[in-house]
Amino acid sequence: MTVQVLVKPNTYIDSVSLMSLSTKANQIEIVEQAIIAMGTEMNKEVIRNVGLMTPEVESAKTSDLVIIVKAASEELCEGAFESINDLLTKKKDSSKGKSEVKYSTITSAVNGTPEANLAIIAVNGSYAPREARKALENNLHVMLFSDNVSIEDEIELKTLAQEKGLLMMGPDCGTAIIGNVALCFANAVRKGNIGIVGASGTGSQEVTVRIHEFGGGITQLIGTGGRDLSEEVGGIMMLAGIKALEEDDATKVIVLVSKPPAPSVEEKVLAQIKQCKKPVVVWFVGGNEEKVTQAGGYFAKMSKEAALKAVLLAGADESKLNKRALNLPLIEEVRAKLNPQQKYIRGLFSGGTLCDEAMHIAMEKFDNVYSNIQRDPEYRLKDVRVSQDHTFIDFGDDQFTQGKPHPMIDPSTRIERFIQEAKDPSVAVIVMDFVLGFGAHEDPVGAMLPAIIEAKQAAEDEGRHLEIIGYILGTELDSQNIEGQINKLLASGATHASSSQNAGLLAREFVVKGE
Amino acid sequence: MRFAKSGDGDFIQRIIHHKFHGFVHSTFNRTINIQCLDRGDLYTIACKGIDNAPNTLIIDLEHFEEAEIRVNDIVSSGHSVLSIANKMSITMNGVKRWDCKLPKYPSEADVLIMNVSTMKQYIKLHGNNSRIERAFKSGNPFDDEMSRMLHERTQLLVSELQNKRISTAITHAASLIGLGPGLTPAGDDFLVGLFTVMGIENHQYFSHQSFCEEVVLHAKALTNDISYMALAKAAGGQVRESISDLMEALFRGSEEELLLALDRVLAIGSTSGTDIALGIVAGLEMNM
Repeated sequence: MTVQVLVKPNTYIDSVSLMSLSTKANQIEIVEQAIIAMGTEMNKEVIRNVGLMTPEVESAKTSDLVIIVKAASEELCEGAFESINDLLTKKKDSSKGKSEVKYSTITSAVNGTPEANLAIIAVNGSYAPREARKALENNLHVMLFSDNVSIEDEIELKTLAQEKGLLMMGPDCGTAIIGNVALCFANAVRKGNIGIVGASGTGSQEVTVRIHEFGGGITQLIGTGGRDLSEEVGGIMMLAGIKALEEDDATKVIVLVSKPPAPSVEEKVLAQIKQCKKPVVVWFVGGNEEKVTQAGGYFAKMSKEAALKAVLLAGADESKLNKRALNLPLIEEVRAKLNPQQKYIRGLFSGGTLCDEAMHIAMEKFDNVYSNIQRDPEYRLKDVRVSQDHTFIDFGDDQFTQGKPHPMIDPSTRIERFIQEAKDPSVAVIVMDFVLGFGAHEDPVGAMLPAIIEAKQAAEDEGRHLEIIGYILGTELDSQNIEGQINKLLASGATHASSSQNAGLLAREFVVKGE
Repeated sequence: MRFAKSGDGDFIQRIIHHKFHGFVHSTFNRTINIQCLDRGDLYTIACKGIDNAPNTLIIDLEHFEEAEIRVNDIVSSGHSVLSIANKMSITMNGVKRWDCKLPKYPSEADVLIMNVSTMKQYIKLHGNNSRIERAFKSGNPFDDEMSRMLHERTQLLVSELQNKRISTAITHAASLIGLGPGLTPAGDDFLVGLFTVMGIENHQYFSHQSFCEEVVLHAKALTNDISYMALAKAAGGQVRESISDLMEALFRGSEEELLLALDRVLAIGSTSGTDIALGIVAGLEMNM
């Protein structure tokens, strides 16, 4: 007998339909037993008592619908799920119902699925290099999500991949889109003719969603891992990624996303751009325009600019694009509401590159910009728990994630900090990102909403206006319903920024008084 | 523009006199639930034919199918109109206010004793396969185990209440929350019925309102938002109109009036009405 489980998050079905569904599911010929119930603790106890508990059921929430099928084989379970899904949706959806098959080793997975050509590895960093090596030796491209992999292992794995003509994305690679399939943290975007090589996850996500918004689409998003452009690793994967996209017929334009590379690596990348037959847009956050332009690349100072240049190079008609200019009257309106003591921006980010971009935008007009990810040690926060002047925090940085999930999954640490910052009378603006897409929190704005409402009310009671800017990174194709997320944000009284770039610019312009 | 036919007095007041901000929490064919932003409470917009209930507004609509209302749609109020995104506006002009008021326990129990006996027989004949009743055997191990647990725990709860062991009664009540099939689990429905009786003035357990409040404190984490709201409201003596009508019929009604009122309760959900009715019976029998 095989038992398989499907947990449908936040699914409410009226009792009559639910009971009818349960009855019909148990009447399916191939089903030994079917359970359809809400994922409450007490229902889990019943499930445990009848010997059908699984880790998936254990982790279900009270608002989740749990579907358990017991049948003679995996195939029959799959068939039963398809039938139940049909009953549930009342319409056939052939893309659903295919359950996952679990293998205990890379080798058995390769034997079981000989057509596979990519492995995603997310085991503990101590074991990750061994598993990645096995995958490469089995001629699989690798996306290595794990961090805490030594730089020596990274170099060895990337060199092996290079020799075999494979991609070694990572370690610490959280974002990729391969063959129109989003892997780990990525957004659902249109297929198109723009390829991306990204060393920074949320930066790459931002560029993909802006390209999507401008009507363009993505061929591949190749992640490299954050250390790829360091002196030691030498940009092996960035260079391999550019080469792969240059050879890919579907890709017409290439976009590179990263923090500025180490000088020797920058030279190699620029040399490859010079050789490349396809236009290359370069967004290196805080990077140097002159060198990129001299190499024949298209420099972008900010994320939206990178996406815009890419879609124009890919053939979009500029006159038909909505570039989402800044709302200038709003800037004046907010400036007028702030009192003279309110001087500072506090940026609370779940995405590292989004934090970096907003910070660099602020640094164009202010000297006193502090952060836990500042490259200049003088402006690096001495104590990450205490803000100083203009402060930008990347909650995805190691200081905040040790022993805790990433803030894109668990927003609790950022919520606590938000409440703290909102009480500071010197704060004028709090800017935050909310990342949607695969792997991200199901309702990131909803999780922050009560705190926003409370903070705004508390500020109002003290006679000050607290400006809150939210940027929601996502597309209408993402499962979280971006429109609903925007509506929630607006209902809380926060300002919605239409891009990461605009979020940074609005935050800065709100506090630049008298200009 | 849709018209509100009737609704919970407090909900109407909030729409008319205060700002209401929320978003659509869940949608069904004939009801939608709205989560209020400032308190997090759930409110319901229901189609005509559904009875009044706490936090509920009844509107002049057959069903929501064509309204294309989606989860997360924003809801706000202004000028006595409740707006759901740009998809539906509901005016409060002419709305009939309803406030739940449970009847007092009768000074003479003769009618009640007879009506409770009739009600028990009627539930046996016309109730909808409640898992709480011992007789329920489906042959499905999950359903049978659930039935066993529901039966055992409801019995333990009633026994502890009768013996005035409130702290263990709270534990047994909490062990029922979230237990059962359906959107509102059977254990929750039973407690709604029991809370209704315990909220009746002059009932010997009326002084045990803190029992209901204690149980509700456990409920937030143990059941879904929709069922939690029904429990929380029942703990404060607020139940849907069909249930308060049933209480009135039980206390003072003829057999015909009782069965008419009971039919309306039994029609709630799939087995919910039956489970609520069983909770009411259990609560009343404790007092006899």
